[in-house]
Amino acid sequence: MDLLNNLALGFSVAISFQNITYCLLGCMLGTLIGVLPGIGPVATIAMLLPVTFHLPPTASLIMLAGIYYGASYGGSTTSILVNLPGESASVVTCLDGYQMARKGRAGAALSISAVGSFFAGTVGTIIIVLFAEPLTRMAQKFGPADYCALMALGLVAAVVLASGSVAKAIAMVFLGLLFGLIGTDVNTGAQRFTFDIPELSDGIDFAPIAMGLFGIAEIVVNLERHLTRSGTIKVGSLWPTREEIRRSIPAILRGTALGATLGVLPGGGPTLGAFSAYTLEKKISKHPEEFGKGAVEGVASPEAANNAAAQTSFIPMLTLGIPSNAVMALMVGAMIIQGIQPGPEVMTKKPELFWGMIASMWVGNAMLVIINLPMIGMWVKLLTVPYRFLAPAILLFCCIGAYSLQNSTFHVMQVAAFGVLGYVFVRLGCEGAPFLLGLVLGPQMEEYFRRAMLLSRGDPMVFLERPISLGLLIATAALLVLMALPSIKKARKEAFQEEG
Amino acid sequence: MNRFLSKDFLSGLMFIAFGLIAIYFGQKLAQGTAVRMGPGYVPRMLSYILLGLGGLICVVALVSGSEPVEKPKWKPITMVTIGIICFALLFERAGLLPALVVLILISSLGGEEFKLTEEIGNMVALAILCTLVFKMGLGMNISIVRGVW
Repeated sequence: MDLLNNLALGFSVAISFQNITYCLLGCMLGTLIGVLPGIGPVATIAMLLPVTFHLPPTASLIMLAGIYYGASYGGSTTSILVNLPGESASVVTCLDGYQMARKGRAGAALSISAVGSFFAGTVGTIIIVLFAEPLTRMAQKFGPADYCALMALGLVAAVVLASGSVAKAIAMVFLGLLFGLIGTDVNTGAQRFTFDIPELSDGIDFAPIAMGLFGIAEIVVNLERHLTRSGTIKVGSLWPTREEIRRSIPAILRGTALGATLGVLPGGGPTLGAFSAYTLEKKISKHPEEFGKGAVEGVASPEAANNAAAQTSFIPMLTLGIPSNAVMALMVGAMIIQGIQPGPEVMTKKPELFWGMIASMWVGNAMLVIINLPMIGMWVKLLTVPYRFLAPAILLFCCIGAYSLQNSTFHVMQVAAFGVLGYVFVRLGCEGAPFLLGLVLGPQMEEYFRRAMLLSRGDPMVFLERPISLGLLIATAALLVLMALPSIKKARKEAFQEEG
Repeated sequence: MNRFLSKDFLSGLMFIAFGLIAIYFGQKLAQGTAVRMGPGYVPRMLSYILLGLGGLICVVALVSGSEPVEKPKWKPITMVTIGIICFALLFERAGLLPALVVLILISSLGGEEFKLTEEIGNMVALAILCTLVFKMGLGMNISIVRGVW
């Protein structure tokens, strides 16, 4: 069995001392930022991108992945205990988790969410293993036109599922694509938009932009808002009652299935998974009136869903090289920093990295259960650190990190510039994530577009003549048309209002 | 409420501005033909799309209205930006420690609360942490105080 061999290879990589250390480090950091409000996984990963340059490729990707799924565990802890979601995917957990805590069932809510998350993470990992090879094989048959169409679909779908105005988000994608073109044109060597700044001729660096847009802008917004904190609650017994177990098992199964499906979609991911799972539970429950008052299903299902989605959102990134959300865009950036071109070749050319990373996700999930349950008191204490201590630390790490990319203060200046731009985006209600996706995919997409047009002798019909490309473009157009339908527009608006 | 000061209208203007900037600075790039695209082909295409989308967003915002922009608070964003710029200017010339002190001082002036004793404690802790992590842990070639260490 190929699959078993691959898994064996993966686990042998994942449990090497070095990788397990970085996995643990990533999980701890992830939990930490999940617990702390005001800093999310995107900002953290952006901040750590330059540091990963000093690490071996596999270890750095394992660590970054750990931060991503660790954040969803940490976020649920604070949602349940203090009604403060540490990150967006755990907003729904607040609804019933905090109510359970107020009834003295905090411990049970925590252990159900941890076990549910672990189960969902395991299933998510299995799904990645099963789907990785067929998808990669399919992707290897793609021509330039097909790739271009695939990226278009990925970008549009990401936009559609992300929140806010579709037109603005699409414009942000194009703006990102445009920024991605800064630097030397690969085909002709011409300098584009470099303004005679030598640092820009290699292309605009990805990490300072992400730090500015997400890290700095987030800090500034938080400084304006003045974060307040409510009192903590006692954890109590970690053991759920028999009734709670009976009710949460089917909920965990449903949440896992829904989350895993939504995670694969471009633009999907933990947040969408958690929200959909909560809505589903409320709809099919025999006691919908209990929701919002401490229904155990309202904790179990979204928690399982967000973790399943966190795992399966790696699938498009690992097999096709197409990031489906901002964190995945950063993972692509991390691979590029390490000199790995993300795409179907990763699996064949770097099997130890590919399978090692997948296996480490399962190892990481197991570690998280251990980190989270017994050490809960410690994480809760961290909540008392005021934001005014946190903000300078984040700023400082961003600055040093940006400098260390190429030992140049030009990158630090870039962080400042993109911080201002990011702040403008926030104020104007423009999402940073579509911009980042466009930025990452920009150079590749241009390359495929030009190659496809060259092969077809300048005939744009090539995109409609190849069956794969045609199918992908039809799907893209269908998505856009769907979004314009009034009923969907309305439903979307309601869904995001609930979120906000 | 002034309908021109809405989030959507202003973001439409922003996209138009970026489109115009890209067209202006991309003038010299050869366009080429659809078969052999020059370096200017794709940027120009993207700029026109941005202009179109920006215009569309503006028109829709004016016709159907949108949320007004919140009044920005200038202090945090200004202080944080100045802090980072000072850090960039000082880091190579003076070393990590002075850059760190200036960054923390200026940026925390942007927050609501400011207590000097707390900030000093924060600086000491961060200076130790950064030295341990970046200088010793990762072995980065940075000086803590230029000319001294």
